[in-house]
Amino acid sequence: MTLSLSAVMLLGLGYLGLLFVGALAVERGWVPVRLSRHPAVYILALGVYASAWATYGSLELAGRVGFGYLAYYLGVAGAFLLAPVLLVPIQRLSRAYQLASLADLFAFRFRSRWVGSLVTLISLLAVLPLLALQVQTLGDTIFLMTGTGTPSLFALAFCVMIALFAIAFGARHARLHARHDTLLATIAVESLVKLAAMLVLGAYALFVVFDGPVDLQAWLDGPGRSAQAGIEQLDPTRWRTLLLLFFAAAFLMPHMFHVAFAETLSRRTLLQAAWALPLFLLLMAIPIPLILWGAQRLGEDGTGIGEAYYAFALSDAAWLQGTAFIAGLAAASGTMIIISLALSGMILNHLVLVALPPGKKLDLYRWLRWLRQGLIAAVVLGGWLFYRLVGVKHDLTTLGLVAFVGMAQCLPGMLALLYWPGANRKGMVSGLIVGSLIWLLGLWPPLLAAFPGLILLPPGLEGIDGQAPWYLVTLVSLTANILTLILVSLATHTSAGERAAAEACSVDAVIRPKRLPLIAANSEEFKQQLARALGENIAEREVDCALMDLSLSPRESRPYALRRLRDRIQANLSGRMGPSVAQDIVDRFLPYRRGDGMAATEDIHFVESRLEAYRTRLTGLARELDGLRRYHRRTLARLPVGLCAFGDDGELLMWNDALAALTGIDGDSVIGARRDNLPAPWAELLGRILTAPHSRLYKQPIELAGELRHLTLHKAELDAGEDGHGGKVVLIEDHSEMKWLEDELVHAARLASIGQLAAGVAHEIGNPVTGISSLAQNLRYDTDDPRILETASQIQQLTQRVSRIVASLVGFAHGGRHVSGHTLSAVSMADITDEALHLIHLARSGEDVAFENRCLAEPKVQGDAQRLLQVMVNLLGNARDASGAGDRVTIETEPTGDGLWVSVVDEGEGIDDSVRDHLFEPFTTTKPPGEGTGLGMALVYSIIAEHDGKIDIDSPPPGQAKGTRVRLWLPLNRQEVAHANEPDSDR
Amino acid sequence: MYVYRIMLLLVFGGYLLSPLLMSGWASPGVAWYRPFAIWGVLIALTLWLEQKRRLDER
Repeated sequence: MTLSLSAVMLLGLGYLGLLFVGALAVERGWVPVRLSRHPAVYILALGVYASAWATYGSLELAGRVGFGYLAYYLGVAGAFLLAPVLLVPIQRLSRAYQLASLADLFAFRFRSRWVGSLVTLISLLAVLPLLALQVQTLGDTIFLMTGTGTPSLFALAFCVMIALFAIAFGARHARLHARHDTLLATIAVESLVKLAAMLVLGAYALFVVFDGPVDLQAWLDGPGRSAQAGIEQLDPTRWRTLLLLFFAAAFLMPHMFHVAFAETLSRRTLLQAAWALPLFLLLMAIPIPLILWGAQRLGEDGTGIGEAYYAFALSDAAWLQGTAFIAGLAAASGTMIIISLALSGMILNHLVLVALPPGKKLDLYRWLRWLRQGLIAAVVLGGWLFYRLVGVKHDLTTLGLVAFVGMAQCLPGMLALLYWPGANRKGMVSGLIVGSLIWLLGLWPPLLAAFPGLILLPPGLEGIDGQAPWYLVTLVSLTANILTLILVSLATHTSAGERAAAEACSVDAVIRPKRLPLIAANSEEFKQQLARALGENIAEREVDCALMDLSLSPRESRPYALRRLRDRIQANLSGRMGPSVAQDIVDRFLPYRRGDGMAATEDIHFVESRLEAYRTRLTGLARELDGLRRYHRRTLARLPVGLCAFGDDGELLMWNDALAALTGIDGDSVIGARRDNLPAPWAELLGRILTAPHSRLYKQPIELAGELRHLTLHKAELDAGEDGHGGKVVLIEDHSEMKWLEDELVHAARLASIGQLAAGVAHEIGNPVTGISSLAQNLRYDTDDPRILETASQIQQLTQRVSRIVASLVGFAHGGRHVSGHTLSAVSMADITDEALHLIHLARSGEDVAFENRCLAEPKVQGDAQRLLQVMVNLLGNARDASGAGDRVTIETEPTGDGLWVSVVDEGEGIDDSVRDHLFEPFTTTKPPGEGTGLGMALVYSIIAEHDGKIDIDSPPPGQAKGTRVRLWLPLNRQEVAHANEPDSDR
Repeated sequence: MYVYRIMLLLVFGGYLLSPLLMSGWASPGVAWYRPFAIWGVLIALTLWLEQKRRLDER
């Protein structure tokens, strides 16, 4: 009795008041989000496990069974060590289906509201003693410090504060499965406070009561040994049983389930907790024996204040007593807040809403919120009442063990849920009822009325009679529970719904949902249907919320997307009203279409997306097969040909990358749609191939992005094999380029035929031209008139020119080879240019272009004069055609050591970059259609190559703003070669 | 995934051998902190396995 009542109340209520302020700071955003959402906060919040049992109960247990008290910590540490195989699957289920409590999970798995109600009842019964334990420590410590005669009333004041806190910060939202940052941060702070307080108490014992570790060890080896005489060593079986109870508590206790799974963070954070939570518990556990031994050294022997409160015996100093009180208050308040939240949700979903279905309410969310807030208060006050009526007559260990043995009855069901798809609801309910009855009969009579418990040991186990009741009840109830679960499950029928849920829950199984069509055809119809159950406003909010969760468009009508939308709505409703009510609503108002002869095939796309998420969990053969699946999937996705696949029901299952690139439609936006819902023109085009009797549609013209494309489609039927996956696969090839090339080929063939025609025409023209030439020759002999002689001479020259042109055309038509028979001679480029200019001037066009021949008479080049004339005619003709009125064309030569440069420079428009690379290819022209054949420059190239020369083109020429310069280089001395230097066909 | 098997072995082995932890309570010649030291080693081992698992799943 070291503190006054008012001081203790001020301390306790002040602490809780500070928690309110801290929580408000988090909620208002005064604390940075990166701090309030740090993984460490989540891990510390898991420290809610360390309830008043950890601060006081463990002392009591340590005083009786020595290191046996460690079972409380090591059990939960073992469960978190198994987080990847035990907790992560539960977290996955809890998150995917918005299952906020153990009852939700069981009701979902066993497809039964009775299972949910039963688990809720057992949880309520099991948790009441644990809540009473928390309240009792408050009452006991207030009494210890103040000596007041009515500690329970003051404990009630704390309970009211705790209930208000839970209502204010934990029940704001109707949805249970939501992360409450404020609440988590508060619980994390409470964990830090109790840890710090325990470490202070431990350090005080070690360094003040004892003189450090050495002194402690000396005391333990000497005088302290007698103080340990009353310690009963737990035998291995009892130790292991205790360990099992606390192992189960780690994920079955409502408050642990709530923090670990409902207030969920990432999978990674849960895995980090695998080592961080045991570390926290280790630090919490170390001070326990130190405090116990410290109090024993100070003379406490358990007959005074009881081992549980030895921390108060370490010193009469107010600060130390206050520290011990705050440690307990922080532990108890955190546990009570979370238990009340978790249990209120379970009672609401599995007792209240089952008895009073929500129906159409004006404000359903508010109604749910009020119910929850009322239930939170009821749970906390129920804990206080249980403490007043029952708890005060028992020690902490008794109360705690009743709670833990009760919750352990859900352990067989949980393991079956995760690892045995064969378990069914009848087995689960039977096992739970049998186990719970043994627990109630064995441990509750002594708890309620000081009657001995009824424990019936099966034959063969009489030898353990006389052991502690908690041990016997645990052993018998769990054995009976497990055997009943297995035998009844094996002996009874499992419904299809249960089997589907079992697959969804099983650790090794991938969910394989069926691809059934829904009656509602779009999200608007979803709203209309749901409005019948929830009212228009709530239905609209729920559908919009689910659409947003899935990032789907409000106009969504793909069957695949609608199925996901239905699942999401069910999950969200499950978060608000529990899985049983949610499933009822969704099954009734958003039913699947059945009985129209459509086979329910597996939702391959969904299965694949799940497999992607499970990749790291697969091992052995499954991993190898998944690797192969990925390889084949990647092959199809990366195939450079468009590919899509349809199921038997016409639903699009695959849309590969090439098709996405061709169509401009992303696969994610169309996969799961029906063929006739695809955007134009694909619905019609794919419909044509899918319904066509033949397997190919060749070069179908369609317009894509304003461009005409020609697509070839191939189809293959996929027969439904043993796996039942039938359908059709369609390959789509873009043959637009091939079609263009084909058109070009036809054009080229037409030009070739013109060449052949020209050869025939040349042959026919040759005779009359020869005749004209002969007649002109004769004319020269028949007259002396110089004008007529000049005319006859020009006629002869022109007829020769016609013959050569025709011969050149024939030569070009024969693959660019000139007609043999020409001989090399010394040719003056000045003369050739003059002659070419002369011929050019015969044409009517280009009369206003000035030509200037600056060519030097010497040196002469070795070449074929006629063919070089052809070159100059072509070049000068091009220069003339490119020039405008008044432009000048200059021809000049420049000798080099062994050759001669001939330049033709004009001031015309120049050559376009796109044409320059193809300038020497046949049919390349910059002239308007009908004015040029595109053969001129090809011929020039051919002739210059025959002369071992070369050509350079500059457009514009150096020093000029526009125009073109064509430079020919011709050798001065050259032996006639047998046309070995063919033009480079690659040019 | 192989790491999970190591963890399963560790937990099951620990469960079977854990009664040895209790034998040191106030026994002469046995350091009082021995169970906590063993526990600390187990936490370090878990931390190491957790790092290994993250590398394995990367």
